[in-house]
Amino acid sequence: MSLRLDGDVIRFEGQCRVEDTETLVALLHKAPEAKLDLAACQGMHAAVVQAMLAFGRPVVAWPTEGFLKDHLAPALAGLRPTKL
Amino acid sequence: MNDDLLPHFLIEGRDLTEQAAHDLQMLARGPDKIALDSCFRAIHTLKGSAALFDLPPMVRLLHAAEDLLGAMRSGATADPAALPALIEVVDQTDRWLDELAASAVLKTGAEQVEKRLAALMGRAPPPEASDTDPVTTRLGGVAIRYTPRADCYFAGDDPLAIIRAVPGLVDLRIAPREPFGDLARYDPFTCNLVMEAVSTAERGAVEAALRLVADQVVLSELAQTASVETVEAEVRTLRVAAERVDHLSDLTDELVIAKGGLALLAAQAERLAEGHVLAQALRAQQARLDRLVGELHGTVGRIRQAPLAPLFNRFPRLVREVARSLGKTVSFEVEGGETEVDKAVVDGLYEPLLHVLRNALDHGIETPAMREASGKSAASALRLSARSAGDRVVIEVIDDGAGMDPRRIQDMALARGLIDESQAAALDDRAALELIFLPGFSTAATASDLSGRGVGMDAVRSAVARLGGRVEIASQVGKGSTIRLVLPISMALTKIMVVTCSGERFGLAIEGVAETARVAIGQLTPVRDTEAFVLRDQVVPLVHLADLVGASRPTRPEVLRVVVAKVGDESVGIVVDAVVDRLDATIRPMSGLLVNAPGVNGSTLLADGTVLMVLDLQELVG
Repeated sequence: MSLRLDGDVIRFEGQCRVEDTETLVALLHKAPEAKLDLAACQGMHAAVVQAMLAFGRPVVAWPTEGFLKDHLAPALAGLRPTKL
Repeated sequence: MNDDLLPHFLIEGRDLTEQAAHDLQMLARGPDKIALDSCFRAIHTLKGSAALFDLPPMVRLLHAAEDLLGAMRSGATADPAALPALIEVVDQTDRWLDELAASAVLKTGAEQVEKRLAALMGRAPPPEASDTDPVTTRLGGVAIRYTPRADCYFAGDDPLAIIRAVPGLVDLRIAPREPFGDLARYDPFTCNLVMEAVSTAERGAVEAALRLVADQVVLSELAQTASVETVEAEVRTLRVAAERVDHLSDLTDELVIAKGGLALLAAQAERLAEGHVLAQALRAQQARLDRLVGELHGTVGRIRQAPLAPLFNRFPRLVREVARSLGKTVSFEVEGGETEVDKAVVDGLYEPLLHVLRNALDHGIETPAMREASGKSAASALRLSARSAGDRVVIEVIDDGAGMDPRRIQDMALARGLIDESQAAALDDRAALELIFLPGFSTAATASDLSGRGVGMDAVRSAVARLGGRVEIASQVGKGSTIRLVLPISMALTKIMVVTCSGERFGLAIEGVAETARVAIGQLTPVRDTEAFVLRDQVVPLVHLADLVGASRPTRPEVLRVVVAKVGDESVGIVVDAVVDRLDATIRPMSGLLVNAPGVNGSTLLADGTVLMVLDLQELVG
């Protein structure tokens, strides 16, 4: 289990794979105010990243893993996705 | 302040200011897109590097200059005041680099200087000092635009994993390809991303990492469009510590000496019973070594060669400053900076050239009013040029100033007690001009602050002589003067003839030797207080090497051994005891007490470890 809703926060843990995307989208629909906690995330599929971009939820904690921290976090932090 | 990086920044900064100054000089002659692009790049890089240090005024000023150059590139501005302002900015940057080199900080008042120059360029400095470019524009590398196919998730691709595998990734941006639309109907399995990234790796490596999605990727090399015209002209270079090259050069010299030992061995082998075969084998080896060592020496010599441009490019700013302080208007031109000479020569020429240029500005060039009064243009022309002539480089400083009056120079030398009346009477114009090279001539009270710092033309001459060169002078009253420095391009191998005289060995550079001859005593003809002999219908005067080097002449043999040397256009016979050897050697300039020993070109080490003095026939006999 790599995604779970913990109160107001969706926690990403370990590897978030393509098959987790459906779960994530369901959680995002289910909890429209939920924020994202990526601290324990070790890897992320592009489909998961895309869902994050689409829904544009605030991130409360960024990953510590090398690539996610160095490249993905800046790539996402700089974007303010437009909700159309 | 980042201390580790500062030395690198100073080296790089000098190169870049030189480049920018050179480009601006080209632009001053007329529109020049290549120079404009090159100048823009130099300023841009300089700004980027300066931003690594705590130098807000420098960064802001360079930023403003970059903006101005950018506007000029796009044709948005063609302000004629822009070029002089940019030249001032580059000069100021160079001055700041001087300050950084001296004390690692900018002097106080840098902000005022910055504001003044920014105003000159007609632009206010940007408010943020630490403006950071997007990485993509500052770094070279490969830009990647990857637009994964919409069905790639179904196909099992993870575009993020693919981009992650690209080596040297420095900047990643991820954005939706199209707006996501109604999130209630969000489709998690249709890819709607576009990824942009920069890689510092080679294009080939980037292509390899993306080969499976090559149809979805567009690559472009950053800054390629701007530099495409100059890429081919750029020479690949490597910065190497000068000491290492010097060490390599010393080792090569020693190899030349060690190689010489083989000839001795061959000669010894020859004397052995049955030694002939061995001697021949040794000689064959020696011939091979000869060739290799010669090539090695030539290659090392070329490593040591460097263009004069970095040296020459330091002068325009100094000339402008000196001219301004003297209230003179000078158009200074530099040419031949691409000429390559031994690094030792480049390094040793700054002081002498600076002095010659200051002299020209101070004493040679007249004030604008004086020039106009004598029917000249108010602005004077001063030119620093270099060209190679065989194995020498000729560097000239030419001004169109007042010129030097030989009679006045002679009077000044008389007044300063450097020569007496009888010497003065014997001087022709050319010899009179040469008086400025006498120690004590230009340190006199008439010299101004600028050129009279106790450094006279005598210092110029001896500095040039130490580099194995000479200084010539030509001047026409009212028309201007030319100071010409003639220097060796490389400290290369010289062919030397070894002769003996009174039991000592001396070297003579073979280039000055025409031939050797045996002359019987009976063939000599007395001519005034000396003797001469006839060689192929030409009368050749004789001198004795013993006299020249201050040794006593040996008892007169029946047949004299004579080395016929060309001194100027004339042949002179030099009587030696014997010609003992010919060899290739590197002549080292004399150092220490012997620096100014007359008639000595330098010295070289022989195979047996003894030092051989190499004589300068021109000076000894001339």
